[in-house]
Amino acid sequence: MKDIVDPLSRRAFLKTGATLAGGIVAAGMPLSQAIWAAEGKVLKARSTIDPKTFDPGFYNYSHEVDVMDCIYSKLTRYKPGSEWGWELEAAEKIEQVDPTHIRFRLKKGIKFTGGHGELTARDVKFSFERVIKNNSPVKVDWGSLDHVDVEDDYTGVIVLKSPFVPLWMVSLPFAVGHIVSEDAVIKATKDGGTFGTKPPAFSGPYVLADWKPKQYVVLARNPEWSGPKPGFDEIRILPIEDAKAAERAYQAGDVDFTSISLDSLATFKNNPPVDTKVEEYQTLNFNWLGMNLDHPKLKDVNVRKAIQWAINVPQILDAAYSGQAAPATGIIPPGIVGHRDKGLVPPEGDVEKAKEFLKKAGVADLALAIDCTNDSTYSTIAQTVQAQLSQIGISLEINLQDPGSFWTLGMESEGERWKDLQLILTDYGALPDPYYMTSWFVQAQVGIWNWERFRSERYDQLAGEAVTIDDPNVRAKLYHEMQDLMEDSGAYRFLTHRGEPIVYRATRMQAVTRPDGYPLYPDFMAV
Amino acid sequence: MVGVEVMRPKLSDATDTGAFRTFLGQFRKNRLGMLGAVLVILIAAIAIFAPLMITHDPIRIMVGPRLAAPSLDFLLGTDQLGRDTFSRTIMGGRIPLLVAFASLGSSLAVGLVLGLIAGFGPRWLDNLLLLLFDTIRSFPSIIFALAMIALLGPSLASVILVIAITSMPIYARVVRTQTEALRSSEYIAVERSMGAGTTRILAVHVLPNVFGPLLILVSMDVPAVIAIEAGLSFLGMGVRPPTPDWGAILNDGYSYINQTPWLVIAGGIPIVLATLGFTFLGEALRDIFDPKLRKDL
Repeated sequence: MKDIVDPLSRRAFLKTGATLAGGIVAAGMPLSQAIWAAEGKVLKARSTIDPKTFDPGFYNYSHEVDVMDCIYSKLTRYKPGSEWGWELEAAEKIEQVDPTHIRFRLKKGIKFTGGHGELTARDVKFSFERVIKNNSPVKVDWGSLDHVDVEDDYTGVIVLKSPFVPLWMVSLPFAVGHIVSEDAVIKATKDGGTFGTKPPAFSGPYVLADWKPKQYVVLARNPEWSGPKPGFDEIRILPIEDAKAAERAYQAGDVDFTSISLDSLATFKNNPPVDTKVEEYQTLNFNWLGMNLDHPKLKDVNVRKAIQWAINVPQILDAAYSGQAAPATGIIPPGIVGHRDKGLVPPEGDVEKAKEFLKKAGVADLALAIDCTNDSTYSTIAQTVQAQLSQIGISLEINLQDPGSFWTLGMESEGERWKDLQLILTDYGALPDPYYMTSWFVQAQVGIWNWERFRSERYDQLAGEAVTIDDPNVRAKLYHEMQDLMEDSGAYRFLTHRGEPIVYRATRMQAVTRPDGYPLYPDFMAV
Repeated sequence: MVGVEVMRPKLSDATDTGAFRTFLGQFRKNRLGMLGAVLVILIAAIAIFAPLMITHDPIRIMVGPRLAAPSLDFLLGTDQLGRDTFSRTIMGGRIPLLVAFASLGSSLAVGLVLGLIAGFGPRWLDNLLLLLFDTIRSFPSIIFALAMIALLGPSLASVILVIAITSMPIYARVVRTQTEALRSSEYIAVERSMGAGTTRILAVHVLPNVFGPLLILVSMDVPAVIAIEAGLSFLGMGVRPPTPDWGAILNDGYSYINQTPWLVIAGGIPIVLATLGFTFLGEALRDIFDPKLRKDL
């Protein structure tokens, strides 16, 4: 014991402390940063959702894919920066041979963890085809994929049934493009079906070290990773659903990277927390008020149109986003093929016209319910809609739901609640191709993600046609018509594509994002 | 053994003018109790006369600019929807008080009946009811409330029902214990021998004896119920928007605290004052009517 205590005498302790402090000062490093450096490079970030799966072939939410980007490899990835594009990741080369064939050659030496061997073209074939074979709810992301031909260990050809233009910006660089180990997944699941929250092997720069539902996801460096060394030793992602709560968490130092609400953007810009960088991005998300066409109270198109015309979108955006968000004209945002310059119903609506529609429907004292998440922004939107509908004599009851409960409301697989749905406030994430925004509203998606239960043969026909066309102008016309059909059904009142301000501690990291502000964690650099 | 004299209800004595004066004298000496009474009377008066005191429609949006600071037009500023915070705070007091009285009143009534049945009924029924009380009590109140509201959906009725269910076992247990003790007392035995029926014994001898401790318990529970109701509304599980409620105002304030502190102040201070008021009042009543309970607690 004496041997241990003696070297830590008061004099020695003071001497060591003074030397350390002197060293830090001499290095010109603030004390907080020195402590941070000594802790190890841990990136503490916020996710808007608690992941329900780590299986890329069966993902539910965009923010689950943020984690998948870290733990698996894919042929291509989104280019970081302000312009949408893609670049090679696990592929050494990839080329479109003809409209239905894409040949790829893999980089050598990418290993799966757990002794599952090298990543080969067979794994690519297995990963892509399992999404279709197992009837994944997100198989639409693979469009017209037929199969993958394996030419040798590193080369393969993706074969499509028909041309599928969105493959380059949706399928390959996003969720379903991630490559899992055939050997590991078959051992874990027998049939290649979903492995849910228990990934059997990793092939990215990080591995899933720990996950506590509703608490955190911890990613640690993958010791078998042969690519460029990622910037952080550990990534700790906390699920914080409410943007306002996330802002408090950032200010308290619980997270160092988060998106914030548009409503708080001005406050953060005018009075940013210490060492904070604020960046603004235009999201591709689309936010709308939907109506369940199968609900008896909403069967009459005149009732639906009355609601459409009674809603004043700029007023809603003023209340919920401090006027920082622009009204949407449809589900396709500006800058993406198929964006409409204006919608059929003007953003401001028209109360008198709304009353006329209601009169035509012969409905009086209509009482409806609206469901939304209990997030402060949606609560504000719902209350504004409530006030606006009261102007035409419709009373609205607001059902604020926990996100876990809300996001299954319209799914037939989750029970009978879809039958009671009336009005719904929803926000879908999107990718930089109009196919992604429009694919959720085809008839095959009714009861899955098409909660309005919108059915249109013409829409489906256009959706099928649009993915085969390369010419953006011709393609845009089809998407314009599809959005017209949606709006004309009365089932949709488009609100906004909002915006995605992010904040991060510049003394700890250089954040790297997609053009819409979504984080690309493997590229984050520690400062 | 519990003697007749010991169990004689003190509340019945209080009906005498002299006893009432004694009570008032004792109450006046209790400064915190007086402060509590003043706060409770003030809050109750504001809740009752709220419609006469508000300056704007509390649910009408955009009556003023968003998140405005206090001014002569908007005494406590406005919220994120441009609603008058003062009017919402004034009207917001009605919900916690309504929830407190409706839920505690109904749980008191049900607890009283079940407690009497358990204490005076057959042993098997007593055991069954005790099992029921203990089962309900074994759930942490707030977790039970969240689970129930997730099932029933958030509404005022759900909040009242949940609080009534979680509070009932305490009252029922107190009544059962008192009833059981009285059941075997000598004067009840004498009443029985003189031909008194169960109904008369319960109404004339048991009820007055159990009512005093119950009222003290209820007065002590009011602040807890106000806090639970505000907590549920804060979590978005209470009353539905746009109903003004202190917990909901506090929640809005939390969301917009960077922009304005007034919402948190407007939602938070009434909750603090109401819980303090009822706590001080309840403690004062307990000290006067049942000093033994104070020692036990």
